[in-house]
This record gives sequence, structure tokens and C-alpha cells, in this order.
Amino acid sequence: MPPPARLVPRFGLRAKVLVVALVLLAIPLAGWSYLKEVERVLRAGQEHSVIATSRAVATALHDRPKLLDLRARTEEAADEGAMPLPGGVRPVAPDSRAASEEILLIVQGLGRSSGRIWVVDRKLNLLAIAGGLKRIEPAPQPESAWDRFVTAPLRPFLERVLARPTEDFDDALPEAAIAGGRDVASALDGVPASRWRHTPDGRAAIVSAAHPIWHGEQVIGAVVVEETANAIQSLSSDALERLVTVTLVAFLIGGLTLLLFASRMSGRLRRLRDEAEAAIDSQGRIRRLITGTRAHDEIGDLSRSFSTALERIAQYNAHLESLASRLSHELRTPIAVVRSSLDNLRMQLPPDEARVYLDRANDGLARLTTLLTRMSEATRLEQTVREAERERFDAHAVAAGCVAGYATVYPAQRFEFVAPDVPVEIDGSPDLFAQMLDKLAANAADFSVPGAPIRVALGRRGSEAVLTMTNSGPPLAPEIAGRLFETMVSARKDAGAEPHLGLGLYIVRLIAKFHRGTARAASLPDGTGVVVTVVFPLAGA
Amino acid sequence: MPKRIAIVEDDPSIRANYADVLKRHGYEVSAYANRREAMAAFATRLPDLAILDIGLADEIDGGFALCRELRAMSATLPIIFLTARDSDFDTVSGLRLGADDYLTKDMSLPHLLARISALFRRADLAREAPQTEDLLDRGNLALDMKRFAVTWGGQPVDLTLTEFWIVHSLARHPGHVKSRDQLMSDAHIVVDDSTITSHVKRIRRKFAATDPAFDSIDTLYGMGYRWKSA
Repeated sequence: MPPPARLVPRFGLRAKVLVVALVLLAIPLAGWSYLKEVERVLRAGQEHSVIATSRAVATALHDRPKLLDLRARTEEAADEGAMPLPGGVRPVAPDSRAASEEILLIVQGLGRSSGRIWVVDRKLNLLAIAGGLKRIEPAPQPESAWDRFVTAPLRPFLERVLARPTEDFDDALPEAAIAGGRDVASALDGVPASRWRHTPDGRAAIVSAAHPIWHGEQVIGAVVVEETANAIQSLSSDALERLVTVTLVAFLIGGLTLLLFASRMSGRLRRLRDEAEAAIDSQGRIRRLITGTRAHDEIGDLSRSFSTALERIAQYNAHLESLASRLSHELRTPIAVVRSSLDNLRMQLPPDEARVYLDRANDGLARLTTLLTRMSEATRLEQTVREAERERFDAHAVAAGCVAGYATVYPAQRFEFVAPDVPVEIDGSPDLFAQMLDKLAANAADFSVPGAPIRVALGRRGSEAVLTMTNSGPPLAPEIAGRLFETMVSARKDAGAEPHLGLGLYIVRLIAKFHRGTARAASLPDGTGVVVTVVFPLAGA
Repeated sequence: MPKRIAIVEDDPSIRANYADVLKRHGYEVSAYANRREAMAAFATRLPDLAILDIGLADEIDGGFALCRELRAMSATLPIIFLTARDSDFDTVSGLRLGADDYLTKDMSLPHLLARISALFRRADLAREAPQTEDLLDRGNLALDMKRFAVTWGGQPVDLTLTEFWIVHSLARHPGHVKSRDQLMSDAHIVVDDSTITSHVKRIRRKFAATDPAFDSIDTLYGMGYRWKSA
């Protein structure tokens, strides 16, 4: 049966499985948000540590007003003429150098390699500054196999997607950071504070914490500790990089596995479908049962239940085919009762009026008998075919004789025999071959337009003999075309005078099969008739 | 003295119908429903002709067994199988057991009566000398129309009535083609084409048993058969 026209694009099993696999994208998404969360926590931790450092520095400077007072005093003098240096660091007056150096010493002692500590007084004068924001970049780790084979090829892509922190940023301390920092302002008001800001060139994030320096109840200055978030950022971007590569690789492997799985599944299903389609051939015979697979899954089950269903159909077909013979046998006895009763009645010289009915009863009985004879013919033929002896004969001579004979059998039709005048030797039974021709001729004559020629052609094609019988007339109804050769299937619409059981072409099939051949019927391409083709192997082929 | 016919048939309606028609035609009829009854009766007295069904109630092949026993009792007693079974296998089995004819139950009663009287004639005349006016001579073939006896080159060929009628139909006009339908009506039977084919096959085999070179029956595929004019 032709597949229905597809209006919607067809999604195969594989495409569907892959679409479903997209659900797995949730996993890297979760990983990403988890990483972001960890980064946030780390940043908070860094903030705390920066605050702690600033507190520690401030503690070292608490209640040492001399250092800052001195500074305060000299600063007033320097205030007028001093130009701010680039970077906004104010110059330190020479006379305050000693105090400055002391602060610097303290600050340096507390300083960290990756942080910058500076001290301002109440007037926002920078008293000391130590350390730097730039980290020494860690020496590159020896490449692992993973890096070499997985990360390295992905690097260009990764670098485009992931922003890695850089140590190449502007680490100047702008005036705005000192004067405008909320943290500094808050510290000078006595409240420690922290804030995040970006470097002036925007390449790095900086966390800064300011802590007031107390003298008694009075704030005399503030300590500010700054650090970049580069350490955390590089950790997190490393982790992101790993996440991306692992995800990509896992996706690749998972996708391939799913694809393989889906391919295997759809392959098995396709094979099952093909087998199921091939199991019933165009003549409606169960040709070959699906090899019931031993797979212990649903497809195996499906295949097994297909086998069972096909087996049942085969049994049912066999039952149908034997039905005719059983029926004919069972009907014969009651018919004999009717016939012998009618014969008895007739012999008693009934009155003329009764004779009419007797005749009608006899007519009906005659038709019944014809039916029975036809029914048993197929059965008898099945038997004959089983027991028939094979001989080599010339099909050309048999067919020529038969076709010549049809002129008298079917006076209303014109039979033409078209065949090259060469012997067509086949192994089989000439009687059966002739019987097959008779059935084909009867069939063609029944359907042919009266007077139109019926063409019988016999030829050789390679190692095969091809017999065709072509009659003009109505084309085959498509719904019956495939079943014509089954028992008790008839395309005849009107019940003629002769009873028909649709056994003729069934007999053709039986005989063709006996000759190791096949029979099929088709409408002519232009729809003006029907051609029945029987193909069998030549003798010795 | 009327001829005695034994009918062994398990279906009571058919049995009664056959018995009635035979009685009406002057035969003395005894009907039996199964093999035991029939054998008990045959043990005391043999009939002049026996009509047997093959399947007898519970015995699927009861008729065959009966035929074997009857044939053992008498080599000449005409025996007819009248049965619903029409397979070649049953026909061959029945004839091989020594039955004179094998008929299916769709045989009409007039046809059956014709056969019965023919068989009686054959049995009665078997011992008398053939009379020339009833002989049909076609070279090696000689048909005795009265006794339904056939000889080939002087050798008797044992044909059933149906086979005899087929041979007669063919040999009456050598060289003429007889279609299967014509043969059927000449042999007083209603069967399908392939039954005629197997009848002809059996006839050929029987002649060939007497003379391996026998090939007087031509098959004309699509038309029928023809007796070769010598």
C-alpha cells in the first residue's frame, strides 16, 4: 500500500531523541549558576579579609597621634604650593619624612604582596602607601593530557566566551578614589566600610576596605586596603573553562551515544517494518515469518507478536483454502439426498404441473453441482500438483494448441497467439500447463470486450519463460489487484449465468507455483485492459 | 428371477431413495447401514451386485474393507463405489481393490441405473462367445459393446465402465477430436476437466501395461483427445 502523502515534515526517532537530549543543557546551566554563587561567596570572603586587614593596620596606628598629628601639621604648610603628582598621590613634605617613614614601616610590615595599603588623615592627605595591586602571574602549570587534547583545541572558542582576568591594568590611585570613596568617607566618620570599584581602565575589579584610626574618641585618619578580585576571577574562570570543556565533551559523548542508541533502535524498527511488509507478498501469501528475535526488550516483544499474528493469518489462510474442499465434501451428501429424491419423484410420472417445479429444482441442483465441481477442482488440483510427475515439455506447442482450441470454446472472442517460433522447454506437466492456460483464457474471455482480440504471448527472457494474456476491458480495481490469486476472490461484479467462486486464478497460481513460477495481474498502463503475466524458469536453467 | 442388489450406505435418506428406485426397476434390494450388518448378510448369501459407500458411520474406510472382503468371496461380483469422496487417491484406491466403477454421489439416478444394467449385462455375457455385430474394430483395438469388454491385440484390457465409455467415445470416430465435455456426456458422468484428464491417464496406463508401445490417444491441449487413425 502506498504511504499517505506527508504534509508535515517527518521527524525520525533520532531527531526526537536528540531534541529530548537538549534537556541535559540544564546541567551545565546549573553548574554555571553554582560557579557564580561560589564566586560571590569568595568575593564576600575577600571583602571580609580586606576589612580584617584594614582593621589590623588601623589597630597598629590607633592612639599614635604623633605620627598623624605631625603629618597634619606639615600638611597644612604643604597644602598651598604642592602640585598633585600624577596618580593623585600627594607629595610628602621633607620635614614629615621621618613620621611618614614610620607609618610606611608599619604599613609595609602588615602589607601583603597582592594588596595595596594606604593611610590618609582626616583631610584626605595621603600619608603612606605600600604594596601593589598587580599580582605576580603564577608560572604556567605543566600541561596535562586533558589540556593538550581537549582544552587546547577549544582555547580560541573559550577565550572568546570567557573573560579571563588580566594583570595588565591601570593600577594608579586616582584622586577620586581617595576623595570620593564612600568607604574612606565612612571610615573618617568612624564607620569601617568596604566597596567594589573598577580600575580607571575598567579591566579589573577592586575591593577596598577603609577603617578609621582612632585617637581616643576621635578619628584621626583612615587605613584603606585594596585588592583586585583577579585571584578569585581567575579561579572562577578556570572553573568555568573546565565546566565548559567538560560539558562540551560530555555532550559530545552523550550525544554520540544517544545517536548510536537511537540509530540502532530505529534500525531495528525499520528492519522489523520491512520484514513485516515483506512477510505478506503481493499475492497475499504469508511468504516468510519474521525471524522472532530473541531480544528481551519491547522491540523483541513486538517482533514476536508480529510473528504470532502472521502465523495466525497463515493458519487462517490455510483454513480458508481448505474450506472449499471441506464444504464441497460436506455438501455432497445432502445434495445426493435431494437429487435422488427428485429422480425418484420424476420416475413416478408426476402430473405436468408438477414437472415444471421438478425441472426448476433440477436446474438449481445442476448449478449447485457445478459449484461443487468447481470447488473440488481446486482441491483436486492441489492434490494433483502434489503428486504430479514432472517432464520436460515444449510450452510453445502446448500454448499454440490451446489457443487454437479456444476459437471453438469461445466463439465470441478472438484469440491471438504471439510467440517466436522457438521451443520454450520447461519442466513440469503439460496437462497442468494447459489447464492453467484454460483458466487464464476463461478469465480473459469473461472480462474482455466482445470481439476485441485477446493476446496470448509466450517468450523467453534470459533463463525464464514469460507468458502473458492480455485482454481489453475494465482495469483491475486497485483494492482487489493484490488478492486476485487468492482462493475465492473474484473481481466479477455481475453474477452471470455461470456461478463463479474466484477459484480460476487461484488454480493459475497453484500451477505456476508447481512450475516454480509466479503469476501476477496488472491493469494496462492506459487503463484499457488487464494483463496477467506468468513467469517460470526454463528447463535446465 | 430378479437380480439382487446390496446397498451399503450410512445415510438413511439416500439409502431409502436408492432402494426405492432400484426396486421400482425390478431389482431386489437389501440395504445395510454399516459394514457389520452387510458382512453378516453377505456371509449367508452374496448379492448379484453391490453398491458401497466408503465412509460408513464410524468407519472412515469401511467401504474399502468391505470391497476387499467381497472381492475375496467372489472375483466376478460387480462392485460400484458410490461416495462423496472424489479425490484421485480414493478413486485409485477403490479401483485397485477390484471395484468395477467409482462414482460420486452427484450421479443422477438414471445414469446410475444405466451403469447397473450395463454391469449386469457384462457379468451375464462374460462367459458367452462374442458376437461380431456388437464388435467395434480399430486395428489392435476391439470393443465388445455388449459386454463392455476391451481387447488390445487380442489381449483383454480391464477397463471400468467409465473408462470403457471414454475409449468407445474416442475410438468410434478415429481422428476426430473429442472435447472433455463430450467425453463426459458419453461416459454419463459430471465431473471437472482434471478428472477426465486423470481418467485418460489411467486408460493410457492400462493399455501400456498390455503393450508398452501404445500411443493411440493423442492429447490436443486446449481441445481434447483424439484416437489416432491407424
